[in-house]
Amino acid sequence: MSVDLSNVRNIGISAHIDSGKTTLTERILFYTDRIHAIHDVRGKDGVGAKMDSMELERERGITIQSAATYCNWKGNNINIIDTPGHVDFTVEVERALRVLDGAVLILCSVGGVQSQSITVNRQMDRYNVPRISFINKCDRTGANPERVTRQLQDKLGLNAHMLQLPIGLENDLAGVVDLVTMKALYFDGDNGEIIREEEIPAELQDAADAKREELLDAVSMFSDDLMEAMLEETEITSDMVKAAVRAGTLALEFSPVFIGSAYKNKAVQPLLDAVEYYLPCPTDVENIGLDLDKNEEEFPVSNNDDDPLVMLAFKLEDGRYGQLTYVRTYQGRLTKGDTIYNVRTGKKVKVGRLVRMHSDDMEDIDSCGSGDIVALFGVDCASGDTFTDGKITCSMSSMHIPEPVISLAILPVDNKAQINMSKALNRFTKEDPTFKTFVDHETNETIISGMGELHLEVYVERMKREYNAEVEVGAPQVAYRETISARAEFNYTHKKQTGGSGQFGRVAGYMEPLEEGEYEFEDKIVGGAIPREFISSCDKGFAKSLAKGTLCGSPVTGVRCVINDGSFHAVDSSDVAFQLAAAGAFREGYAKAKPKIMEPIMKVAVEGPSEFQGSVMGSINQRRGMIIGTTEEGNYTVVEAEVPLSEMFGYSTALRSLTQGKAEFTMEFASFKPVPKSVSEELVKKYQDEKKEK
Amino acid sequence: MGKEDLVSNNPLRALGLEKEDGNDGRRVGLVMARAGLGKTAILVQIAMDSMLRENKVLHVAIGEGLEKTKTWYDDILSLMNHQDKSIGSYQQIVDEVMQNRMIMTFKENSFSVATLEERMEDLSQQGIFKADCLVIDGFDFAGAGSAAALGELKSFMKQNDLKMIWFSAVSHRDDNRVSANGVPAPCHEVDDIFDTVLLISPEKDEIRLKTLKCSEACSVDAGKSLSLDPATMLIKKA
Repeated sequence: MSVDLSNVRNIGISAHIDSGKTTLTERILFYTDRIHAIHDVRGKDGVGAKMDSMELERERGITIQSAATYCNWKGNNINIIDTPGHVDFTVEVERALRVLDGAVLILCSVGGVQSQSITVNRQMDRYNVPRISFINKCDRTGANPERVTRQLQDKLGLNAHMLQLPIGLENDLAGVVDLVTMKALYFDGDNGEIIREEEIPAELQDAADAKREELLDAVSMFSDDLMEAMLEETEITSDMVKAAVRAGTLALEFSPVFIGSAYKNKAVQPLLDAVEYYLPCPTDVENIGLDLDKNEEEFPVSNNDDDPLVMLAFKLEDGRYGQLTYVRTYQGRLTKGDTIYNVRTGKKVKVGRLVRMHSDDMEDIDSCGSGDIVALFGVDCASGDTFTDGKITCSMSSMHIPEPVISLAILPVDNKAQINMSKALNRFTKEDPTFKTFVDHETNETIISGMGELHLEVYVERMKREYNAEVEVGAPQVAYRETISARAEFNYTHKKQTGGSGQFGRVAGYMEPLEEGEYEFEDKIVGGAIPREFISSCDKGFAKSLAKGTLCGSPVTGVRCVINDGSFHAVDSSDVAFQLAAAGAFREGYAKAKPKIMEPIMKVAVEGPSEFQGSVMGSINQRRGMIIGTTEEGNYTVVEAEVPLSEMFGYSTALRSLTQGKAEFTMEFASFKPVPKSVSEELVKKYQDEKKEK
Repeated sequence: MGKEDLVSNNPLRALGLEKEDGNDGRRVGLVMARAGLGKTAILVQIAMDSMLRENKVLHVAIGEGLEKTKTWYDDILSLMNHQDKSIGSYQQIVDEVMQNRMIMTFKENSFSVATLEERMEDLSQQGIFKADCLVIDGFDFAGAGSAAALGELKSFMKQNDLKMIWFSAVSHRDDNRVSANGVPAPCHEVDDIFDTVLLISPEKDEIRLKTLKCSEACSVDAGKSLSLDPATMLIKKA
């Protein structure tokens, strides 16, 4: 049976950490009858929020993995992905936004637009996701939704306007005035489930009239009907306003703002109505696929159930019953028992079980259609893979995956832990493309790398809890890189004659810095100085050499290797000989190409009371940070800076003690920059000492 | 070609501003225009010119966000790079130049000269940033207390050892008041404070940067004007 796509909403919930995303989702599930009791995020009642199904999430009160759920509100099927707010888990947010049609940006009515809200907003911009904002926690002391709306305009550049006015604030928050219907809404019952509609309180009438006027002015440009009604001073209906707000929102030119308090059960239902009215259904959004049969020509997916199937796997999870693959269907229909085709691997797989996810619970379904978000069982694939029914060869565009910036060595405590650790690592690397692992052959240590301390900490903890893999953890290490800063020539001959067949190969050319990209190889050999069959051996030899630079043993990036001469031996030249010759040539050229060490620089934002501004800036300065600037608003200041990651270890403790725990910071990767000379010398010395010890 | 060439090729040379922040005194400048005509772009070019000459510039943006202000610098520098393809290691120059800049943004109601002084002192005492030049974008010349604040400008500059302060001010089409030097309201009554006053003025197909008032150090005579590229707001090379 086909579902009317105009009644489907695929939405994400994103925000700065601790803005109340999970609490809000919990209320949404309650009001849509998906759960029958409300539980606390931090699990004080021993249950924990539905969407934070992971034990760790409940303990820490943060969302680590995005969880998908489904609910029905007034006949609309809403697929919701509750996404993490911490930047270390940014890939979860990215993945969710890639497959969603609309989003709800949640803000704290006191904290306002915080650094992570800016990041999330940027991510939404990147994927052209229409969004509505919900200013949560209006019951808190200091709540000021008007100020937050101004911040949405100033800091995020959104054409944001409130569609509601609060009736009371802080402890007196009683309800909201709907500026579209011009009615006051109150939320009665034990859990705010009974909505009482009344006339606007007299003392708020003037403010409501003025705000509505402001709203109409802002949205009139999106609707000719509304504009006409305003000019001709005829009746302006709620439907006219809603249509104008919807048009502006879908065009990404308007962002409606709603207010309430999820924790106090105030004004969550109007937000659900807003999801229906103002956020797009799958057919409102154009999603682009790449036709691999036509040289990756872009085409819009049809959203039509009758067309060939196209779906994207955007998240993998190791469920209780095996691998669970979350997919978004862009066109076509999938029925249990169908055979689907993984475009990347070319493998066919039969879909044995199809489920709709409700956090860690699931419901078996027989089929799903265009625009749906469901999960498959027993489908082996990687995150980001495209599936079709084989009638079409296309791929959905790839996702933006940031490079890991931090690594640490882990050592299993015994044999059993070793086996379990391998299983865990295998699973985690499949699930999360920002989490990487490898074995350092010199030290024989297993190294894991990711986006931040918390990111790796969570995986180590998951290893223990989910896989019973007890590991010892080394100190976090910064993922340095090496690169070259000058052009250098090489001319290296690899010659070995120690019994049996010999090895011979000469490789000459030059290497130079590459502005963009990690590595490039160019063959400028003329006259067969190196036979064709050995050119790829040279490429391989150079590429292998990039794994470990000579300065501090970090990977080498930003190098272009060009070969223009060489020589070979009819008998002794081989693939191996030329690989070794290229490796030797690389060593020779690298030493002359003024190599340097690059370190990850983080964009750091510290937010806190203005009285601590001086101490905060001092602490950043001590950490080799470059302060970009400060933003002062009343008694609250944000200091933005670029700081080397290596200097940020332990910063949360230092900041707490500097500011009496009143400031907080977030950081995200900004770029790689050369380390200062003194640091470089230290790193080189440390690497040399380590090598001597081995 | 590197940073030095960027300095000498800078079209701002035409204004001779390098002499403004020299050792012969403390200069105060003003860029005026109607709203939306590009005052910030000119202020940023003046700041950039100073930064390229190794001066530390504190950019104070009142009523404007940090990201937006930073973007002005990124855009102007990238446009300068675009105009002059021969600039050496661009990223290295950017990194070097940006070390000479700090941005402070304030909400209109959070800004006061006393707060600014307190912040500058804090930065200087901790050895984080000691500004040589100050750029103040968005100062409310019509606001209460502005005349008093401007009256103490020279002592403020001396106290903080500032070579140069540049302001921006919005003029209004419907306010015809001007000073004897031609400086429009709301700065017409305080024009004696400024050594240099520039006015951005749209004329037919182009935008002109007129010199209403100029210090003796400046190489452009009052009354002269330069042409601005309307697409980039960079001063057109003669």
